[in-house]
Amino acid sequence: MKDNKQKPRELLNSKATVTPMARRQVLLGGLGLMGGAAAGALGLTPALSAASNLPPNIPEWTRVLGPGVLTNPYGQPSPFEANVQRRTVDWLTPDRIASISFTPLADLKGIITPSGLVFERYHAGIPAVDPHQHRLMIHGMVDRPISLTMSDLMRFPSTSRIAFLECPANGGMEWRGAQMDGVQFTHGMLACCEWTGVLLSTLLAEVGVNKKASWILAEGADGAHMSRSIPMSKAMDDALIVYAQNGEALRPEQGYPVRLINPGWEGNTCVKWLRRLEVGDQPWYQREETSKYTDLMPDGKSREFTFVQECNSVITSPSPEKPLNQGKGKYWVEGLAWSGRGKIKHVDVSYDGGVSFREAKITSIVLPSALTRFGIELDWDGSPLLLQSRAVDETGYVQPTYQQLRDVRGTNSIYHKNAIHTWKVFATGEVANVQLS
Amino acid sequence: MFNSRKLFGALLLMLCGAEVLADTSSGYYGYGKLATEAEIAGWDIDIRADGQGLPAGGGSVADGEVIYEEKCAECHGSFGEGVGQFPVLAGGEGSLTSQRPLKTVGSYWAHTSTLWDYIRRTMPFMQPESLKADEVYALVAYVLYLNDLVDDDFVLTRDNFTDIQLPNQQNFGPDPRPDVHNSRCMENCKNAADIQIVSIVRREAPASDLLATTTEAPKPPAAGEKIYNQYCVICHKAGVAGAPKKGDTNEWATRRLAGIDQLNEHAIKGYVGKSGVMPAKGGFSQLSDEEVRQAVQFLVEPSE
Repeated sequence: MKDNKQKPRELLNSKATVTPMARRQVLLGGLGLMGGAAAGALGLTPALSAASNLPPNIPEWTRVLGPGVLTNPYGQPSPFEANVQRRTVDWLTPDRIASISFTPLADLKGIITPSGLVFERYHAGIPAVDPHQHRLMIHGMVDRPISLTMSDLMRFPSTSRIAFLECPANGGMEWRGAQMDGVQFTHGMLACCEWTGVLLSTLLAEVGVNKKASWILAEGADGAHMSRSIPMSKAMDDALIVYAQNGEALRPEQGYPVRLINPGWEGNTCVKWLRRLEVGDQPWYQREETSKYTDLMPDGKSREFTFVQECNSVITSPSPEKPLNQGKGKYWVEGLAWSGRGKIKHVDVSYDGGVSFREAKITSIVLPSALTRFGIELDWDGSPLLLQSRAVDETGYVQPTYQQLRDVRGTNSIYHKNAIHTWKVFATGEVANVQLS
Repeated sequence: MFNSRKLFGALLLMLCGAEVLADTSSGYYGYGKLATEAEIAGWDIDIRADGQGLPAGGGSVADGEVIYEEKCAECHGSFGEGVGQFPVLAGGEGSLTSQRPLKTVGSYWAHTSTLWDYIRRTMPFMQPESLKADEVYALVAYVLYLNDLVDDDFVLTRDNFTDIQLPNQQNFGPDPRPDVHNSRCMENCKNAADIQIVSIVRREAPASDLLATTTEAPKPPAAGEKIYNQYCVICHKAGVAGAPKKGDTNEWATRRLAGIDQLNEHAIKGYVGKSGVMPAKGGFSQLSDEEVRQAVQFLVEPSE
């Protein structure tokens, strides 16, 4: 690594008898290796700060020239951030084709999740959809069944909104007790992006929907043909047929070239690689709305079409990934709150396991069905804490406790767990996932 | 070009507002093309609970057993018991109120149509939408048989399809949420002395994770490991279809005796052995020969 680090600089400063052209080629060859860990060639190798880079010394990166434009035609995060990655839990699923990965919430700021870090959920892997050959078909109980190319779709009036995307199984591993060792895994089936596309209501007006129609089947072009029945009321309200995410085309992981977004509803309904919308007068009872994504209650009955993601929140720092590692003193405690029923109204934070709460500050823009950032200053005296956050949405709904949830729903409903979460902070500053009596 | 429909729409807009326009203006933009019946028929694969969408045809339990053994049993088990973590299809009756509910077609699913729809839609896992209608009928009949819902001489057809009712159908109901009600208490919300930690998970983190700044970038997985995780893991993790499991030292040692070249060739071109079947490139023809070789190299390495 060290040799590698020196080479380009030696070349740059070299008075040796190489022609400028040859020198340039060698240099470009070296630059070509860059990307990820190979960025060592630029002195960007992640390493603990050497004292020689600290004041009053002049840091090494200040004394040399950096790489020029187009070194990375599509920019990447600093190699020092290489630890900020989606991760999976291999025991959850038999393979990685039909599986899930988690958003690294502890390292994210603000409310927008970078596209490359949005959690993944596939039922048949990521299809390699060619946008030129992709078609979105709308048919069924309509006057004019149509087939749209991506170019056709982009001619319709376009709209953008910021909305969270959450798997209804987010936190589902914790119904019976604390099980996951970080906020990435307890709450990381969660993201929030700016989504751009066409209101589904616009497309439905274009095809002319039969007055008796009440449901729409949305279906993907992946091998699973992932499919869900969507009530007409949602379709006519705020459902969005989306082709862009955070200002650029959807990522393949997120349904490139086009997906459905149902703001505030379970992520599974937001069908990716959308190829077909069929208008009908009853739901289809697809596998993902009967066998899965139904909520089993203690009496053996199940709830179906449980669409809304209810009000929820979690503290992302401190967390197991972000211990209090500066000793006693002031820390900024922060986290995320969200509700599928509208805007976040309050977030309250407890340091004592829910005996008392104080209201946190909302530190981001507040939008309906969007992640909302909160924070509060903690003056830590070094004693153990039981940290909790509790969100309230604009309907007045208060995020419940585990006990309240379990009293009604037992522990086998898998989905829609939105209980108040507790982190135990040890005197060492280490943080663990706990559940309280 | 003067468009009378647009003019009509514009007049309506002036007279009545945008809502009326939206209701009466199908084809207002005119983008795209009308979908033909043939185009729709090729993609319209959904089956509704009332049987709408079912193609003509039928299949017997006996035919279903043959197809099931060939295409399904490797993941779902010969009796629908599930291999590894792959879904269990049969059994579980009476388990829904227990500590460990077993959700199967017989114990949990609501509609036979869901089974028909799903099998055609995406099964077998590695060859989605590859089954013919009669094969799907036969497989549905066989899965019903595995769940003791039909006799062994049963033949499922479009005509008798809606006669089959799954036992759990009546146990689904609408979403009653918000069903849990908390209040926004700020002080003395509970007795501090009553609070006990009932479960805890501590992180076993590398020391670097506890530092404010990351020191070393994690080593990216080798190419072979990535390919294994993406493709080979489906069978070689659980030992599906007689596949030797990753980390099964004895199994791999035997195979290595024949030489890595032969192993590579079997993996690339496919192989039928005594204990199982290796499809060419595991069925992922998009993989290059070199990628398969890298995955083989990762597979045969003893696990740590």
